[in-house]
Amino acid sequence: MNIPARGCRRRAIAPRLCHRPVEPVGTERNSGTVTVRRAAAVLLSVLAVAGLAGCRGDDAGELAVTVSRSGCAPEWRTAHGGPRTFQVHNTGINTTEVELIDPGNGAVYAEVENLGPGSTRPMQVTLGRGRYAFRCLPEDTDASTGRTVTVHDGPARGAPAVVPVDEQVLRGSVTRYRRYVTDALPRLRADVSRLRRAVDSGDRAAARRAWLPAHLDYERLGAAYGTFGDLADAIDRLPAGLPDGVHDDGFTGFHRIEYGLWHGESMTALRGPTAALATAVGKLQRTFRTERVDPNDLPLRAHEILEATLQFELTGEADQGSGTTLATARANVTGTEAVVHALRPVLASRYRKLHAADASLSRLAGLLDAQRHGDRWTPVDELSRYDRERLDAATGDTLELLAPIAALAQVRRAR
Amino acid sequence: MSEEPDAARRGTDDDPPDTDDGLPGTDGERTGTDAALPGTDAARPGADGERGDAGAARRGAGGERWPRRQLLTGAIGVGAGAVAGVGGTLGTQRYARAKPAPRPDRIPFHGTHQAGIVDAAPAHTTFVSFDVLADDRAQLRELFATLTDRARFLTSGGTPANPGITAPPDDSGILGPQVPADRLTVTVGVGGSLFDHRYGLADRRPAHLTAMRTFPNDDLDPAWCHGDLSVQFCAPNRDTVIHALRDVTRATRGAMQIRWMIDGFTSPPRPSGTPRNLMGFKDGTANPDTGSAAEMDRVVWVGARQRGEPAWTRGGSYQVVRLIRMRLEFWDRISTSEQELLIGRRRDNGAPLDGTHEFDTPKYAKDPVGSAIPLTSHIRRANPRTARTRSSVLLRRPYNYDRGVDAVGDLDMGLVFVCYQRNLAAQFEAVQTRLIDEPLVDYITPFGGGYFFALPGVADGTDRYGSALLG
Repeated sequence: MNIPARGCRRRAIAPRLCHRPVEPVGTERNSGTVTVRRAAAVLLSVLAVAGLAGCRGDDAGELAVTVSRSGCAPEWRTAHGGPRTFQVHNTGINTTEVELIDPGNGAVYAEVENLGPGSTRPMQVTLGRGRYAFRCLPEDTDASTGRTVTVHDGPARGAPAVVPVDEQVLRGSVTRYRRYVTDALPRLRADVSRLRRAVDSGDRAAARRAWLPAHLDYERLGAAYGTFGDLADAIDRLPAGLPDGVHDDGFTGFHRIEYGLWHGESMTALRGPTAALATAVGKLQRTFRTERVDPNDLPLRAHEILEATLQFELTGEADQGSGTTLATARANVTGTEAVVHALRPVLASRYRKLHAADASLSRLAGLLDAQRHGDRWTPVDELSRYDRERLDAATGDTLELLAPIAALAQVRRAR
Repeated sequence: MSEEPDAARRGTDDDPPDTDDGLPGTDGERTGTDAALPGTDAARPGADGERGDAGAARRGAGGERWPRRQLLTGAIGVGAGAVAGVGGTLGTQRYARAKPAPRPDRIPFHGTHQAGIVDAAPAHTTFVSFDVLADDRAQLRELFATLTDRARFLTSGGTPANPGITAPPDDSGILGPQVPADRLTVTVGVGGSLFDHRYGLADRRPAHLTAMRTFPNDDLDPAWCHGDLSVQFCAPNRDTVIHALRDVTRATRGAMQIRWMIDGFTSPPRPSGTPRNLMGFKDGTANPDTGSAAEMDRVVWVGARQRGEPAWTRGGSYQVVRLIRMRLEFWDRISTSEQELLIGRRRDNGAPLDGTHEFDTPKYAKDPVGSAIPLTSHIRRANPRTARTRSSVLLRRPYNYDRGVDAVGDLDMGLVFVCYQRNLAAQFEAVQTRLIDEPLVDYITPFGGGYFFALPGVADGTDRYGSALLG
């Protein structure tokens, strides 16, 4: 399920790993020098606060704060609990990330990302009893933390907070996932070779039997949305997006072979596509060792694999004749479990519904296993209405529980 | 219904129940109902002379200008349709002391009865049938609690919960950061299949709640029939309906799955009076008086100690939905007079064929062989206006639908017929039985729908849907 042709997810999340402080300016920030810029900022903020506070009061919900190189929300001094909107205004010259944190452990309650110079954006948060501080992370500059404000009233617990994940923490997870894939690749390669021998021998029945195990080896890897780059297309693309569809020369890989095997194409005609598949899988094994994996991909993968399963396998769209999309879906559950397992050290302290997500995945696996009858899997269109609704609902439930992982485990800048 | 739309629903109607001739319909002429299709039946309370100014003004209007009532209340626009349309008949008393009608942004969620039943139908709806996938009764209870929470929030409006950086946003955002109530209603019903073995509810099944019958002229597609739950969203704006649908399906993901759903819309009055359906005929004139709590109790709401009904059903109502395709290309190829004979009314102003104005009452007694209004016409079959058929009066709340195009390039459009009654057999099924083989059936094809029981209202902030049903 790793097919750009199926709609490559265009990543909108900026690779924030790239931010590096290049210019230590902490001394200036701490020097207490009031620059003209800062004076202007203070004036602006005073006006803004006066405008808002004049009718609503400082604690009635909305407060204007400024961020710049010389201050991180200096306007914020006291607070009552409850829902609150900060209008965060960047008076500085650097695009800045602004977080509201627990100064005790650095956990983030709310954030405004990529706040450009001169722009203002709202930050909404419910304050509970506890200690809060703004943290400003300007591009190319060290982070700074504003005054600690203690809330003594209002709800006991406010907005949920999460301790930021830094790249170092996530790297361990990536290593675990890479090992999982690396360990699985030899089996994929062997099963593809077996498929190739069956195709070359002209034995259609043997080739059909060999096709599914090889395909599932690949689907268990947990590939999704361009994980393996161009090789993903060569190995597992669907005919969508090709001008001549299943008859297009660009239709390659497992599904190309599946189409031929189950649509009466001559076995000779399938030799070429099978050889090309074997080549692509060999190349995958050779290059994966050195391919860089963006750590931020892994948390996204937690729900992306099954998003594609819902779109292509559970609808039956991916089926090219074998009627085994539920087997693919089951393999995708395994791939997802591998991703969640790799992320577990990151998630254990951060995601309170992790057990529910695990349970939901197990339940989905069980529902899929129930559609396996020896070597045969129920084709999607032969499912009873009730069984199909149950599978779809269980998948939807799992996806809702997996989706927060992408947000929770996203790498956030620490310094 | 543009004023105090909840009076009847909440059982707090402070108006005199009706005019001096006693309960509506006692003369066998005044309260009528056409069921299923384009029927427009004149004899509705308020159309008679006893109504005083209102009736006179409306008769005088003859469908050619705004009825005076609408001018007085200032409720032109949506309100105009509402007043004269499906849901709306206000008593003379309320009319007489008409004051500027407050149109609050929200329709109260809590009440004896659910909203979205006797309220005038706003411009947009989505009717959804769900299958429940909860594993057991406890999960079912949880599902109903979640449904209640979401419906309460969505119909009240407010700021969605903010998960901060720990999850994707809770809200789809399509209504902006503050969710307006926008007069949204969410109406929840249960289907007969919910009372099967799964949740141990067999002994609590409402007396008449079966799977929808197949009538002889139906062509039902199983994919568009039945369901464990019905949820109907209604609002003046399409985005409000879609926002609510997305919110509810997301919050209940895994516990229920959409079985089928259909979008509907209502039309403004053209040019006045009752809105027209896609056949070009005014549709919905003949509803009982939704402004009268007494009449709604008689027609719509299951009452205390209603024979054969489990106690929990009190305050609920049988909901029938029928998805009825209209063969519009065929319809457009027949003459106006043939159309009018099939319906029993004039197409231009909705008057019965023996009358002059929309709200004139057909005089079947003077036309025993059907020379003016054929005996087989839709309105005459649906509501023969005899003492014996009075008990089959029901409350209709229809919408038009548009599903695009069919395999031969014809338009797939028609009616989402929704009606409410306290006794499914004596009301909807009796009417529909009279309509079997009416000549109009050549131009319509019922293809889906279901029988549901609209739950009693959610009483207050601690109550939830089906609390009396599920314990």
